[in-house]
Amino acid sequence: MNLFDSLTISGSALAAERQRSEIVAANLANAETTHTDAGGPYRRKEVVFQSSSASSFRLALASTGNMNLPVAGTVQISQVVEDPTPPVMRYEPNHPDANKDGYVAYPAINPVSEMVDLMSSVRSYQLNASAVAAAKQMIQQSIDILKS
Amino acid sequence: MPTIPLISTLESYLKLTSSREQAISSNMANVDTPGYRTRDINFQGELSKAMNGILNESAGGSQSMQLTPVVQEVKGLMERPDGNNVNLDREGLLMSQTQLQYQIGVQLVKHQFHQILSAISGGGQS
Repeated sequence: MNLFDSLTISGSALAAERQRSEIVAANLANAETTHTDAGGPYRRKEVVFQSSSASSFRLALASTGNMNLPVAGTVQISQVVEDPTPPVMRYEPNHPDANKDGYVAYPAINPVSEMVDLMSSVRSYQLNASAVAAAKQMIQQSIDILKS
Repeated sequence: MPTIPLISTLESYLKLTSSREQAISSNMANVDTPGYRTRDINFQGELSKAMNGILNESAGGSQSMQLTPVVQEVKGLMERPDGNNVNLDREGLLMSQTQLQYQIGVQLVKHQFHQILSAISGGGQS
């Protein structure tokens, strides 16, 4: 329980939000990708955030002297899931990935909703960056006790 | 354990403030986590508990108890459809409040040490 744990918590959120915006960027970049290694069009990806729990348990264990446990309250990406939405079919008979009826499967990605997700992620990143600044200032103040 | 009672009081005050800061950090970190519930510590209650502990100790009580503040869920906040009830305005305000409270504690500790120093140097010249 100290101020450096606050930095760990905010840092985990910064990492998670950064990964989230990377996934959104990949979705936007591949909005028109019809051909992937796995076959078929690109599938939209989403992150799942998970909070580390067991706060009082961690406190109890920490009081026994084992301090190597993860800090409670951090956030991490537990998994990256694929959106099950079926691909959008467009009639383009001359496209190399067209099926026998002349339809091409495009990923079901809405650029507007991706941008909204990206903005939300950026705001959360800023919020946690300001939390880091606050914790840093508090640590600096404690160090300043030593100065006279 | 510091010998001056006021400094040990301030120490527990600072510990409590930094624990609260940590709770707020984790609320802010989990602003997008589905199902996360806002957590906080009861500042007034924990502070008076810590003060009582210090008073008991200075009155001759032997046990030097290490109180860990109880982190509990905050009731009465509006919940989003994903089960998360973190309110950013609340957390932002509490964070600035906690930061200032911490600053007060640090300034008071500094002041205590200055007083001791000035007693050692016989006042006047520092």
